[in-house]
Amino acid sequence: MLWVLRILRIFLGVIFVYAAWTKLQHPWTMFALSIDAYQLLPEWAVLAIARTLPGLELVIGILLLTGFALRYVALAAALILAMFFSIMLFSWGKGMAIDCGCFGLGDALTWKSLVRDGALLVSAMILAWSAFRVQRRLGSRLFWF
Amino acid sequence: MITRRTATGALIVGGAALSLSAQSIPPAAGKTRGSVMAPMKVEIYSDYQCPACKQLHDQTIRPLIDEYVNKGKVLLIYREFPLPMHPFAKEAASLAVAAARLGKYEQVGDAIFSKQEAWTKSGKPEEALLTLPAADLAKIRALAKSPEVAAEIARETEAGRKANIQQTPTMVFSYKGKTYPVGGFVTWSILKRFVDDMLSR
Repeated sequence: MLWVLRILRIFLGVIFVYAAWTKLQHPWTMFALSIDAYQLLPEWAVLAIARTLPGLELVIGILLLTGFALRYVALAAALILAMFFSIMLFSWGKGMAIDCGCFGLGDALTWKSLVRDGALLVSAMILAWSAFRVQRRLGSRLFWF
Repeated sequence: MITRRTATGALIVGGAALSLSAQSIPPAAGKTRGSVMAPMKVEIYSDYQCPACKQLHDQTIRPLIDEYVNKGKVLLIYREFPLPMHPFAKEAASLAVAAARLGKYEQVGDAIFSKQEAWTKSGKPEEALLTLPAADLAKIRALAKSPEVAAEIARETEAGRKANIQQTPTMVFSYKGKTYPVGGFVTWSILKRFVDDMLSR
């Protein structure tokens, strides 16, 4: 079980750091345009998310790579990915031709991006579930793995 | 990805150098607006039958023209990208490109977008142009059927595909040698922030 956890957390950690990097290398207002294209949020929320989300992704990615407080970090990753996936699915279902905004510029919202993000969500859910299960079995001494 | 392939080419328009992304082709006659000396360029890949393109045209591009293009800060380049899923989009694009050759691209483009819902139902984009003078309409009709116009649309569509354009509308901003593609409709207030942010760098 522990080796599965390690592989999953390193995989998701790398993905989160990469997602953050693709956003941080461009002006934050560029990411705001991607969020705005979903036409779901008011301006203040678009701006707030555009400013904070890449940093949050980076922190989650680094924490996943280190394995620190894995239960909570994996749960946070799963919740974020569930939010992304729901919004993407809703927008794709409406037939919106927009950028996904997931991994930088020119990443269109298509069934392929949905499958990709769906797979990431399943991975994060498995990681969170496994982390809680292993923790319960091994006790609180295992905070870091 | 467009950004990773970024390189600049040069084109002489009106005696001034116009830098475009590597995939870009020279803008067709009558399909640019603004100064070629503008620090920022935006290419708009559009489909006249696409509702989001109409929304972008009506709500975002108009203020962009008023506040940036007309003030020499942004050069606007119109590109045709009719999607196969829209059966009358190519015909509408042909009319607009034909009008460009008479110097009436924006006038005709505005008319086509303004009556999008009606001609999408009737299947006759020409109906949007009935308010034009008869002589202009006749010229546009004739030009729209010419192979040159069809070739221009095909050329721009192909250039769009090569530039990884996958949807309409897509705006491709070029600034200081970098390109930034933006897919879908975006609100004017957010786009204005982006343009101001870029121009201040």
